[in-house]
Amino acid sequence: MRPTSSIFWQKADTNERMMNLNSIATENLAVVYEDNLVVNGLNMQIPQGKITAIIGPNGCGKSTVLKTVGRILKPKNGMVYLNGDDIRRLTTKEVAQKMAILPQSPQAPAGLTVGELVAYGRFPYQRGLDKLKPEDNKIIAWALEVTKLTELETTTVDNLSGGQRQRVWIAMALAQQTDLILLDEPTTYLDLSYQLEVLELLYRLNREQGRTIVMVLHDLNLAARFADYMVAIRCGNIICHGVPEEIMTTKVLRETFRIDAKIVTEPRTGRPTCISYDLIKENEPRPYMKEGAK
Amino acid sequence: MMNQLQKNETYKRKIAFRNTAIVVGCAALLLLSFIISMNTGYTKLPPSDTLRTLFGGGTARENLILFDFRLPRIVVSILVGAGLALSGCIIQGVTKNALADPGLLGINAGAGLMVILYVLFFGAHSFLSVFTLPFLALFGAGITAGIIYVLAFKKGKGIAPLRLILTGVAVQAGLSSLTTVLVVKLADTQFDFVATWQAGSIWASNWKFVLALLPWLLLLIPYVLSKSRVLDVLNLGDDVAHSLGATVERERRRLLAASVALAASCVAVSGSISFVGLIAPHLARRLVGPRHRILLPICALAGAVLVSAADTIARMVAQPAGIPTGIMVAIIGAPYFLYLLAKSRY
Repeated sequence: MRPTSSIFWQKADTNERMMNLNSIATENLAVVYEDNLVVNGLNMQIPQGKITAIIGPNGCGKSTVLKTVGRILKPKNGMVYLNGDDIRRLTTKEVAQKMAILPQSPQAPAGLTVGELVAYGRFPYQRGLDKLKPEDNKIIAWALEVTKLTELETTTVDNLSGGQRQRVWIAMALAQQTDLILLDEPTTYLDLSYQLEVLELLYRLNREQGRTIVMVLHDLNLAARFADYMVAIRCGNIICHGVPEEIMTTKVLRETFRIDAKIVTEPRTGRPTCISYDLIKENEPRPYMKEGAK
Repeated sequence: MMNQLQKNETYKRKIAFRNTAIVVGCAALLLLSFIISMNTGYTKLPPSDTLRTLFGGGTARENLILFDFRLPRIVVSILVGAGLALSGCIIQGVTKNALADPGLLGINAGAGLMVILYVLFFGAHSFLSVFTLPFLALFGAGITAGIIYVLAFKKGKGIAPLRLILTGVAVQAGLSSLTTVLVVKLADTQFDFVATWQAGSIWASNWKFVLALLPWLLLLIPYVLSKSRVLDVLNLGDDVAHSLGATVERERRRLLAASVALAASCVAVSGSISFVGLIAPHLARRLVGPRHRILLPICALAGAVLVSAADTIARMVAQPAGIPTGIMVAIIGAPYFLYLLAKSRY
């Protein structure tokens, strides 16, 4: 699946050189959203070339953090660094050539075909009235191929299933040719199999092309299964960050979600999995629990 | 795999061919409407006479009818149609709302109020009016649009399209009532002028109107066409547009300003013609899809056909006075729009 064109190899080379850098770093980040201080003093590092999952309860600020890092929201205070550069010093088109961000369930205009939407991913590279160059078309064709959408290129986006649609948006982000892709809950509203389809695609993009993936995920087990690195957030603060084994512990999940989770290692993936959990309420018997269960 | 790529290529070529055919078809329709329009009016000019007059062989009377009465009116209707349609297309694209039209940005109301104030103070027939009207209308529309924009703006979040539309409706209602109050104070001749203007009659068009309108369009239409890709990206929603590197709020402001200027300069010349800005983009979108590079030209053509056809019909059905074109457009447009609504999903 690796493309043969030289441009893609170049990307891979730079990735290897910069492997040890942080792709994104925030310093003392504060964000106000609808008059609420959602994030205050956040210092977060996202490692380059890895899959990072951000988890946390509803309204904890994970989407806000993602949007601020993706310069959709302006921070009230603090800094965001993209590959070590202050993001404010880059023009928005320069940022768009380094980082793509997919919001939660984006909407395509009615009647747009898959190929046309993916072609919009070339926007950061186009000037004025430029038409798509042969090179652009090559990249679009490649993005469609990687996401297995070549057969659907001429179908309108409205006629696709949820999983296919999500793949189209990912293909658009790929056509943007960024080392870094941020995704806000890419599996929302998708069936179990489609969720896996999307995450496996992201996994392949990371492993085969060294793209840095950062995603907000609701499903803890899927996060632990696919991520190399996890960040647990509550009330705009990082509770804990590290490899899944460090995050998927009863202690961290208790602090992050206020749940009492039972964690085991899933035999098929070797990753930690939460098999059951309970709300934390001390000294209150649960009628559906077995006698003596802990 | 190769087979699929070829299939996709064939499909894309087919679409490109179809789009060209649609452009040619629209242009042909416009030409047809132009020809019919030349032959329509109070005085019957048979096609052969029209043709002869057009190429310089007409009698003084024929020359007068064709060159001084009909042609300017036809040209104005074509220009106004194209301008209003483009304006509507931009507003619908920027607000992501298919029901938005230039009227929603207070253009008709703001321009109308200015026109009435002008007539109230300077009379309906002062020498300068043809050339001052576009500026005045633009001024009124600009101020109104500015007010709506400021009211709809929320710090840190920019313009939410829905808030823009709701604010637009409210401000427009306020201005319309103010206009009504002022209309009562007008003298008879002034009232006639304003009433015809409001009904959207391409009133007594002559070449001065064409001259007053043309520079605006020559300036604005190329600008708007050059922004077609930005419009495409804005259509994907603010977040995606940001991600793709569009300066969302700035582009939206510029495009809205261009749209206001387009509509205001048209409305100043033609009077308040509504519905074109609403329907032409719908029509064009059904024909060629949502990509603005092709959508905008088709939209302009559709608008031009719509208004020039409506103007022709308006002259045909009620002679000698004629129905104001704006009303004719509404008569044709409203049922079509209801049909669209019934068929669509929102």
